[in-house]
Amino acid sequence: MTDYVELQVTSNFSFLRGASHPHELVLTASLLGHRAIAITDRNTLAGIVRAHDAARQAGIRLIVGARLDLRDGPSLLCFPTDRAAYGRLCRLLTLGRRRAPKGECLIDKADVYEHAEGQVLVAVPPDRIDYAFREDLDEYRRQFGRALYLAIGHHYRGDDSRRLHRLADLADSLGVPTVATNDVHYHVPARQRLQDVLTCIREKCTIREAGHRLFAHAERHLKYGTEMARILRGHEDALRRTVEIAERCTFSLDELRYEYPDEVTGDGRTPQQRLEQLVAAHAARRYPDGVPDKVAETIARELELVDQLSYASYFLTVHDIVRFAQSKGILCQGRGSAANSAICYALGITSVDPAKFDLLFERFVSAARNEPPDIDVDFEHERREEVMQYIYEKYGRHRAGLTATVIRYRARGALRDVGKALGLSADAVNALSGSVWGWGHAPLEDERAREAGLDPSDRTVRLTLDLAEELMGFPRHLSQHVGGFVITRGRLDEVVPVENAAMAGRTVIQWDKDDLDVLRMIKVDVLALGMLSCLRRGFDLLERHHGQRHTLFSIPQDDPATYEMLSRGDSIGVFQVESRAQMSMLPRLRPQTFYDLVIEVAIVRPGPIQGDMVHPYLRRRQGLEPIDTLSPELEPVLGRTLGVPIFQEQAMRIAIVAAGFTADEADRLRRSMAAFKKGGDLKPFQDKLLNGMLARGYDRSFAERCCRQLEGFGSYGFPESHAASFAQLVYVSAWLKCHFPDVFCAALLNAQPMGFYAPAQLVRDAREHGVEIRPPDVNRSDWDSTLEPADGRLCAVRLGLRLIRGLSRAEANLLLENRGDGYADPRDLWRRARLKAVSLALLADADAFRSMGLDRRQAAWAVRSLGEPPPALFAHVAGDHRPEPEVALPAMRLGEHVAQDYLSTSLSLKAHPMSLLREDLAPRGIVTAQEVGRVRPGRRIETAGLVLVRQQPGTASGVIFITIEDETGVANLICWPDVVREYRKAVLKAALLSVRGRVQRESGVTHIVCERLEDLTPLLRTLSDRDRTAGTRSPSLPRGDDPRASRPRQLPLWRSRDFR
Amino acid sequence: MTTPRFCERRYLALWLPRFPIELWERQDPSLRSRPFALTARLDGGIRLAAVNGMAAERGIAPGFSLTDARAIEPGIVIRDADPARDARALAALADWCTRFTPVVAIADADTLMLDITGCAHLWGGERGLLRDLLERLAGFGHDGRASIAPTPGAAWALARFDGRNGRIVAAGHPASLEQALAPLPVQALRLDPATASALDRVGLRRIGDLARLPAVPLARRFGETVVHRLRQARGEAPEPLTPYRPVPPHRVRAVFAEPLWRPEDVADATRRLLDRLCEDLRQRREGARRVTLDLIHVDGRADRLEIGTAAPSRRPDALMRLLAPRLGGADPGNGIEVMVLAAPVAEPLATAQAGLLSAADGTATEPEKLTDLVDRLDNRIGRVVRPEPTTSRIPERAVVLRPPFARTVGAAPSCWPLIVPRPHRLMIRPERIETVAEVPDGPPVMFLWRGTAYRVRVADGPERLSPEWWDAADDGRAPRDYYRIEDVAGRRFWVFRHGLFETGSRVPDWYLHGFFA
Repeated sequence: MTDYVELQVTSNFSFLRGASHPHELVLTASLLGHRAIAITDRNTLAGIVRAHDAARQAGIRLIVGARLDLRDGPSLLCFPTDRAAYGRLCRLLTLGRRRAPKGECLIDKADVYEHAEGQVLVAVPPDRIDYAFREDLDEYRRQFGRALYLAIGHHYRGDDSRRLHRLADLADSLGVPTVATNDVHYHVPARQRLQDVLTCIREKCTIREAGHRLFAHAERHLKYGTEMARILRGHEDALRRTVEIAERCTFSLDELRYEYPDEVTGDGRTPQQRLEQLVAAHAARRYPDGVPDKVAETIARELELVDQLSYASYFLTVHDIVRFAQSKGILCQGRGSAANSAICYALGITSVDPAKFDLLFERFVSAARNEPPDIDVDFEHERREEVMQYIYEKYGRHRAGLTATVIRYRARGALRDVGKALGLSADAVNALSGSVWGWGHAPLEDERAREAGLDPSDRTVRLTLDLAEELMGFPRHLSQHVGGFVITRGRLDEVVPVENAAMAGRTVIQWDKDDLDVLRMIKVDVLALGMLSCLRRGFDLLERHHGQRHTLFSIPQDDPATYEMLSRGDSIGVFQVESRAQMSMLPRLRPQTFYDLVIEVAIVRPGPIQGDMVHPYLRRRQGLEPIDTLSPELEPVLGRTLGVPIFQEQAMRIAIVAAGFTADEADRLRRSMAAFKKGGDLKPFQDKLLNGMLARGYDRSFAERCCRQLEGFGSYGFPESHAASFAQLVYVSAWLKCHFPDVFCAALLNAQPMGFYAPAQLVRDAREHGVEIRPPDVNRSDWDSTLEPADGRLCAVRLGLRLIRGLSRAEANLLLENRGDGYADPRDLWRRARLKAVSLALLADADAFRSMGLDRRQAAWAVRSLGEPPPALFAHVAGDHRPEPEVALPAMRLGEHVAQDYLSTSLSLKAHPMSLLREDLAPRGIVTAQEVGRVRPGRRIETAGLVLVRQQPGTASGVIFITIEDETGVANLICWPDVVREYRKAVLKAALLSVRGRVQRESGVTHIVCERLEDLTPLLRTLSDRDRTAGTRSPSLPRGDDPRASRPRQLPLWRSRDFR
Repeated sequence: MTTPRFCERRYLALWLPRFPIELWERQDPSLRSRPFALTARLDGGIRLAAVNGMAAERGIAPGFSLTDARAIEPGIVIRDADPARDARALAALADWCTRFTPVVAIADADTLMLDITGCAHLWGGERGLLRDLLERLAGFGHDGRASIAPTPGAAWALARFDGRNGRIVAAGHPASLEQALAPLPVQALRLDPATASALDRVGLRRIGDLARLPAVPLARRFGETVVHRLRQARGEAPEPLTPYRPVPPHRVRAVFAEPLWRPEDVADATRRLLDRLCEDLRQRREGARRVTLDLIHVDGRADRLEIGTAAPSRRPDALMRLLAPRLGGADPGNGIEVMVLAAPVAEPLATAQAGLLSAADGTATEPEKLTDLVDRLDNRIGRVVRPEPTTSRIPERAVVLRPPFARTVGAAPSCWPLIVPRPHRLMIRPERIETVAEVPDGPPVMFLWRGTAYRVRVADGPERLSPEWWDAADDGRAPRDYYRIEDVAGRRFWVFRHGLFETGSRVPDWYLHGFFA
């Protein structure tokens, strides 16, 4: 076999050029018997870690490299020979990327010359070998000397022998050695089709138009060394030099040594000393009555491990970020496995008290694992940017960067792009891609094509489906990770190229979090959480209006009223437990303690649901099923969850104590559980677990159940520590809702959009809890919703101007700044605040002039006459003051008001739309949601309401859950797949839905299992014609047959929130 | 109500609510029995622009997204709306309507406005004209809604919004016009949606609501347009029509009791019309620079033939020579019932005139000469074509033959690679040859073609060309390896091996495909 190393390889990280994943290329090279392979993507190292990882597994060597496409010279393949040269390559790419718009790279010859030390460079000849190329090559030779090679290859162009000859002559005359390459774009010839399609997508043309932009044949794949030797007969030197270069370029990504930033100490002490000192100081503050022994012990043990693994700087870095946030009054809380650490608790990074919890520090940091810990911190979503800019400022952009996220083709985009490239009509492409639901990781079924009205046996449709499936998972572009920061001691841009993010002021590295994991690099996740913003606003209001000062940690613990409220399922707006599934779980679980909340958060998850843990746990909790007598070693593991494993940590512990896994094996088990959804293999671990448990004398059925439950974790399991962090926020938000529903409502409204419910439900819920809600008003409202004094203990909530659809912040500010003691009339407002005509109309539509004694129609009439704002100088004289004749406008019906309220603010305080439609519904035997609650289970009823939420959980195999609302309350609907199929349009599209079905009730939670549905949305359009008193419907306008002649504005009155 | 300040005229508005759909259905009658819709790109998505009756019955309406429509009726037939085509068809219908009156205006994308003042008596009154119009339209497959009123605004409003089709507001009764308009929604005043919705906001929904209000506050709030439209509809403000085709100064018309369908009859009629037109021109001492002939068919189609002359002319024979070839190309279809010949552009003409398009005439422009040449070549030798490069990499598909003046479609001619030469002569069908060649991909050492052996002296290649896999005809085909070869006698050939040599499989065939100079 001839030794050959392929040095010119384009993977699919050269977006829309390469047609194979890096691992496919590496694996194929290894199967072909190559000892090494280079990956040379265009001006990027984004795919290099995948290739590195694959090469490590395949047992061949990866030659790190990139193809440099220059603005002013022939392309060069660049291979760093050592760590320093690699750093220079990274800096070169960073330079080119930072000066270009996102996704592009601008490099000149001169830039390469500056970074050439230690690189091996291979010049790539252009299509046509001319004098200019000779000049360029000569210049390269003078610059790079013996580091320069010239790539030659046999590309079945027809003129190859002459071309090879010319290149060899040229190389000879300049003294540049040639080196053989095959300019590989895919690992096997079968990928030619996909490569052609990628070319079309890149060139934005169809395959029939692409012509010679496509490669003429399928030869750009990896080949055997013997084959390369055959087609390049006579150029044996060039073949031999591939190996020579491979041997020269020994740099491996394994040499990248991650080092923590060190300025966090700065006073001569070691990071460890500094950490120990900080922990001691903070722990004393956390436990004013003295640090409990158990905690002190845990801290000591953790510090020892941290010292041993030298992670102190990392903790200090995170602490520094958290300290910054706290100093600015930004609420934050660590989540994830970090909550397993007493140090993190002491430092204020997390809020799960180690005195109350059994922490599994090994889940967070483990000596055996030799893997960096992962600290994720949530910040208020509105102020996270401040934290990020602090990090950039403190460490500099050359040392701190955001992690990338590789955006990959999913079904929809793949179908769209492939369909377009193959020349399907825009209509067919849309139909096809539009028929994909949800995230679309699932393979594309013929069914989808048929649904879209296309024939899957048609050749082009067939090709589209097949190639789209092949394309799925291909990287499309790099985006920024939600908040993963990498911070280094030395220059970050010598570790990985850094590029511009789409958002101004952000820079992103070329690797994503999996890449960092492979290289064991640490990142700090600076995440955004809406609930924290909401709680901070809540604390502010609480202090201002109720005189109580609170933080996340000062809320009274174990408050019975709060638990009582949650046990009723009264949880609209409460963090994490407001979803319908959670709401129906609460009355069954009846949480009494903080730990019950931890379980509540973790149990309504796809993992536990699929692993069949929910029902055993509930039955045991309700005393309907005996709790297994646990062996002494399992008692501490499963005791607190009644023998049912609910958390990831428990699965790991069972494996260790009951099946004899080492800590390392248990961790690999956890990882394969996480990878299971990506097709990882859990079977060997399951076998080992089963056999281990049987060997230790465990009951077979118990052991089998444990194995089955592990599968569930694969899909989505919650670590206990994470659940505990979230449970903390559940408790705090529930406490606020329970005791200060006024504050809670205002805070939630101001933190919108977030959570599960629209403002209409939040307002309704607050009213049901005795809070008075007042409408937005030009003389009373702020931008945000505010609290106003009211009778009784609670304040009234004054809705803010932010609820008015379309009103801009800037215009609202004008109104607020000039308000003074209030505006006397619309003209006064117009004159002093100088609002645009459109803003005045929006305010009138929102019925916000009531304080002037004008209803929305009178206000609309008044503001219509004002026109654009007067010029500032003439504000006092401007406007047409001629008196106008009095005009009698038709009075507005309640229905019109309600409809306009919804159009303008998505809610109405005047009446519920359903109450006005009731006169039409009652005769049809349609009952209210309240009545549904009173019906005996098993009975059939018909009810109707506005659709609040639609959900299609991935775990529920096609079942759709719908929540509808009428003037008396909500009803929960379950639509089984056959019903969904039959009433698809009503299920998916209706805004007002009528449903007939059977009532089901469990633990006080009522569901309706739908049998028949009807879309009553057209009825909503008659809302405007209705009034409070029945039978006062006015005759409709003649419509002719012109669809445009119906009501002028056909905005949907009501839009549901859909989750799928 | 004030008395109209202008001489009372009569307007007929014709609204075609389903015009685009009906055009498709006329073309393909099977669409009538299937749910069918036209789509357009709107609001950032594909939405239905129009639906047919079957689709409407199933609850599908214009404005639906395509996905929604498919969810309801997966089998719905979808075509792209083509507003340009619809506009052309409407223009043709406007031409057809000149059978009723010369003043026909296109009011908007689906409405025609006819000034029928003084025309109705030919049809036994307005009712008769209306009935004739609607019946004929129905015969073409068009559903029309028409109304006659003293103002274009009122006619437009009533055609669309009065539930009864064929409403006629009597002449000279301002009160009945007022009464007819009052219950109609304000949109009937042709207001933009923003204004209509602003009016709705203050509870002003019907024309009657507006009519009650003083004009000044109304105009201040909703713009002068509202008041102006209202006044136009009521006949208080003038609204001149802009006819779709300016009524040309020279215009002659013939209506046939028996539709003409034999080409010679059409030619005869044309010739007679030309005589009349030229006589008209002569009297005014003018000559035509452009002549149009409208052929209005019984099925509502209207063809327009148009010729231009290099210099003013009023000789019927000369004009007939120019028109005759076009007449030959016109399809009389089911018969022509009206012909209108006109000279829209005419210039003063002296007594003497030069010959037209004669060889001696130096006024013909270069392109005209070329056309002339091509026409002659075509007549004498046969089909004249022009080879044009296309984007295919398969040699026999890389060139298409196109009519000489057809515009290039698709890719630019530069889509040919210039790296490797192509033969000067390409055989229409590659011919099988027997070869002796080195495996797997060496060039032939010698080959046998049409019984003669050729010994190869030098060869270059291979150039490998994959089949065009996206083409059904190429599915599963093998790639070709092309070689340029020269035999010992200096003859140069382009040969290829069809398929790659793989051990165990069939030995690939060789073909001769072209010759180099």
